[in-house]
Amino acid sequence: MPCEINLIDADDLRLVKISQEAQLGLSLYEMKRVKKYFFKKKRNPTDIELQSLGQAWSEHCCYKCSKSILKKFIFGIDAPQNILVIKEDAGVVEFDEDHAYVVALESHNHPSAIEPYGGAATGIGGIIRDVVCMGAQPIALIDPLFFGPLDSSTVPRGVKHPRYLFSGVVAGISDYGNRVGIPTVAGMVCFDEGYVGNCVVNVGCVGMVKKKHVVRSRVKKPGELLVLVGGKTGRDGIHGVTFASAELTDSSEELRGAVQLGDPIAKEPLIHACVEVSEKGLLEGMKDLGGGGLSCVVGEMALAGGHGAEIELDRVPLKDAGMVPWEIWVSESQERMMLSVDPKNLKEVLKIFEDWDVPATVIGKVIDEKIQRIFYAREKIFEMDMEFLIKGPIYNKPFQIKTVERKDAPFEEPEDYNEILLRLLASPNTASKEWVIRQYDHEVRASTVIKPLQGVLGKNTHGDAVVIKPLEDSYRGLALTAGVNPSYTKIDPFWGSASAIDEVCRNLASVGATPHSFADCLNFGNPEKPDRLGELHSSAEALGYVAKALGTPFVSGNVSLYNEAPHGSIPPTPTIVGIGIVSDIRQCVTVDAKNEGNPVYLIGETKKEMGGSAYLKLLGIPSTTVPVVDPKALQERMGALISAIRNGFIASCHDVSEGGIAVCMAEMLIGGDVGARVDLGLIENMRDDYKLFSESNTRWIVEVKRDLAEEFEKAFEGILFRIGEVGGNTLLIQNDDRTLIELSVKELRDAWSATLYDYMG
Amino acid sequence: MDTNDIRVAVLLIEGTNNEQEVYLAFKRLGADPELLHLKQLISKKDLSDYQCLMIPGGFSAGDYVRAGAIFAARIKSALRKQLMEFAENGYPIGGICNGFQVLVELGLLPALESKMSDYPQASLAINDSARFECRPTLLKHESKGNCIFTKDIPYQEVVLMPSAHAEGKFLFPLEKQDEYLQRLIDNDQVVFRYVDTQGNYASYPWNPNGSLYNIAAICNLEGNVFGMMPHPERVFYRYTHPDWTRVYKENGDGKAIFESVLEYIRRKF
Repeated sequence: MPCEINLIDADDLRLVKISQEAQLGLSLYEMKRVKKYFFKKKRNPTDIELQSLGQAWSEHCCYKCSKSILKKFIFGIDAPQNILVIKEDAGVVEFDEDHAYVVALESHNHPSAIEPYGGAATGIGGIIRDVVCMGAQPIALIDPLFFGPLDSSTVPRGVKHPRYLFSGVVAGISDYGNRVGIPTVAGMVCFDEGYVGNCVVNVGCVGMVKKKHVVRSRVKKPGELLVLVGGKTGRDGIHGVTFASAELTDSSEELRGAVQLGDPIAKEPLIHACVEVSEKGLLEGMKDLGGGGLSCVVGEMALAGGHGAEIELDRVPLKDAGMVPWEIWVSESQERMMLSVDPKNLKEVLKIFEDWDVPATVIGKVIDEKIQRIFYAREKIFEMDMEFLIKGPIYNKPFQIKTVERKDAPFEEPEDYNEILLRLLASPNTASKEWVIRQYDHEVRASTVIKPLQGVLGKNTHGDAVVIKPLEDSYRGLALTAGVNPSYTKIDPFWGSASAIDEVCRNLASVGATPHSFADCLNFGNPEKPDRLGELHSSAEALGYVAKALGTPFVSGNVSLYNEAPHGSIPPTPTIVGIGIVSDIRQCVTVDAKNEGNPVYLIGETKKEMGGSAYLKLLGIPSTTVPVVDPKALQERMGALISAIRNGFIASCHDVSEGGIAVCMAEMLIGGDVGARVDLGLIENMRDDYKLFSESNTRWIVEVKRDLAEEFEKAFEGILFRIGEVGGNTLLIQNDDRTLIELSVKELRDAWSATLYDYMG
Repeated sequence: MDTNDIRVAVLLIEGTNNEQEVYLAFKRLGADPELLHLKQLISKKDLSDYQCLMIPGGFSAGDYVRAGAIFAARIKSALRKQLMEFAENGYPIGGICNGFQVLVELGLLPALESKMSDYPQASLAINDSARFECRPTLLKHESKGNCIFTKDIPYQEVVLMPSAHAEGKFLFPLEKQDEYLQRLIDNDQVVFRYVDTQGNYASYPWNPNGSLYNIAAICNLEGNVFGMMPHPERVFYRYTHPDWTRVYKENGDGKAIFESVLEYIRRKF
């Protein structure tokens, strides 16, 4: 039975000790606030009440350090397509007259650092539930991943090797995503020293729902029954959220019990059953059980509806009969959902779950007063005011903004660009990710019309964005991509974050899609350190700056702080998922070069912006001139490009990003299995290496259909350079009469293809 | 019979996850498909009310033991007799990916001697790469007319259908390998073999799993039970082909599979 904790008589020292011993993760200030509450109630709290507060007031659940920053910059971008954004587990955005798409993105960093396979798998499981609980059918998964370098020779004590983490995370995503039958279509893999101590595993999911079937994550009225559906509750995943709201140390391994266990085969019918009951209009509300388990879901659903709840905890089906009440209450066991059901619909709901072989149990009911009560073996063990419990503290912690002086170190221009290009192509961040992509089923559901690997059969290159055709009787498409370059953000959090938005917009426009919404997962270090919180502040400011100027809303997101180990923090990592709309998927284009004789154009301005570039990293030369973003130019060039694609002028298109024009051209040719002759003489006032490798934003290379070139040039409004022509089997890049690059497509492909297979087998 | 009267049972249990695509393939062609949980087929429905049984892909029951083994065991324990009758009456049974694994586990494929062997005669083992492989595969059509699921595809034509599996390496027991393979060939039971872009029988990655004799699909002696590892339902339309932005095709290559079986049913029943 629950025991009483003597808080009322505890001094400050004792309060801190209680928080530590019970792994509550609450600060002294917060413990005092709790003490005051119970002092007024003239009693001591039970262990389950304290545990519940620890969950509800964690950064993971109530965003106590980040909320004021997010509100200031990211929230509230008004757009006509917004249906239900930011407020719930996932954003709901208009797709067409009758349908909405649903987006969710979150981090599963800490669990993946301790137990990569299970951490990543349950990350997928959780994000799918966030989409299902809006009543939507999940249709695609997106996984941006960040690890330490694969060739790290040693790693600090208590840290797992990047190769082990990478292979475990990919296996976890592959085994879970493939089994549950949702295609993993997009994402990114990035390697950087800064992720040795803390890998970053972000998981995103997109779903589709009829507008009239959207379900809210809240109860409607008193008397509704709370029905727990799905898996049983066990001891796995206890204290997951408090674990995620602290730094990792070399003894974090002992908290392995905080990592949940996933079961995709329990999830698969759970999705069907939940979608069916919501489509039949049998639900008043639905929410998934994620961080904090029952303790968070019950309170949040009830309070969102303006009511309270009474729970009979001994009704919860258990994996392990010996569990004590507080463990049942905070367990984060997977594959569970909470439904709020009008009693008149209960029979039908239970019947549908029975048909799908999915357990469903009534565990409580909605009450009028804003109070949460829990009974266990008929005894009241918990009674707290909802407002106090759920609305945790909000802080405006001190932060310090990094000032960046933009300058380059002078260096000699290298002699041999062929060798540099081959080394860039083989570097893990640029090299082929086929090793990862082929382990994910990216085609299940048969609606992936633009795939992550594109080109001549057997000779693929990376696509910029994938496109899903979500509806049977419509050619309207949903384009998906993810991006952020931590090499930029660690030098300049502001322009690095702005560049992430530019990159996802470029990727979407590349296939012919108009950016429609963003989701953000903000992965940062310990917010109690002013410089780390300053990074978050700068990053959020930049994201808001570009998104507002474009009028494209952030519709969903998550903040993951405390990505920090004793030897340092991760680079600021604001992962952006971009969602675009294609009016007709049959007009989409891909990256791979198509036909001999087609002219090649560069769209956009090339500037001397080398900070964080793959080229200078390779040479080991410092620079702080991270590419800047001009949202107006981005808007205009995207518009011109998208209309050129819709008019059918474009044969292939690739955005210029890491490695600049040289890598961009190489990637187009690798997929097309054809050469090209390019002259960069039209780019003025710049050294050859800057022309080849500058990573200035808002640029694309397009191959235009030869017979439409004249029309294209006439119609295109914006900065355009005709730089060459597709043909032969070599990439030849010249600057007026000087040959800079001359490499066969086979040499390019060999350099680009092998890297991950060499490391991972 | 008319196409719109043809009832197709698309069978599933927990972890089956390609059922919607198979359902839609038949629906688009005007037939009357139905998603059926095995529970329903056992307790409420009668297999003899349908003219075609399809077992789609996925990871039935998680495939935590041999792929397809649990699904097959559950079918066998409840429906063995009905299933045998269904096959003997000439009704088509198709298995794709996990469904192929199920048919092999059931003994309905390759069924070298009879309609249904008591024990599996072959297996679909873990890929040589030891990884899940999601990739486009090219298949040469080798059925000389026996298989009813591929009647609309010319002999020796190369078609593209993607593979996505971790266990797809077709094998016979080592001691019977040569004998069984010869019988499979002689009986015209080999339907598709993996080839490269030149049409040659090639090794990895064109043969994504290391299958014996590059086998991608087989049928039974009578040609009405058919199993394949690659996914025809994923290339029903041209724009789900991986290279549709560079190579024009009128239809997706997979469509012919569903058209063939419906044509057979229309004529025969």
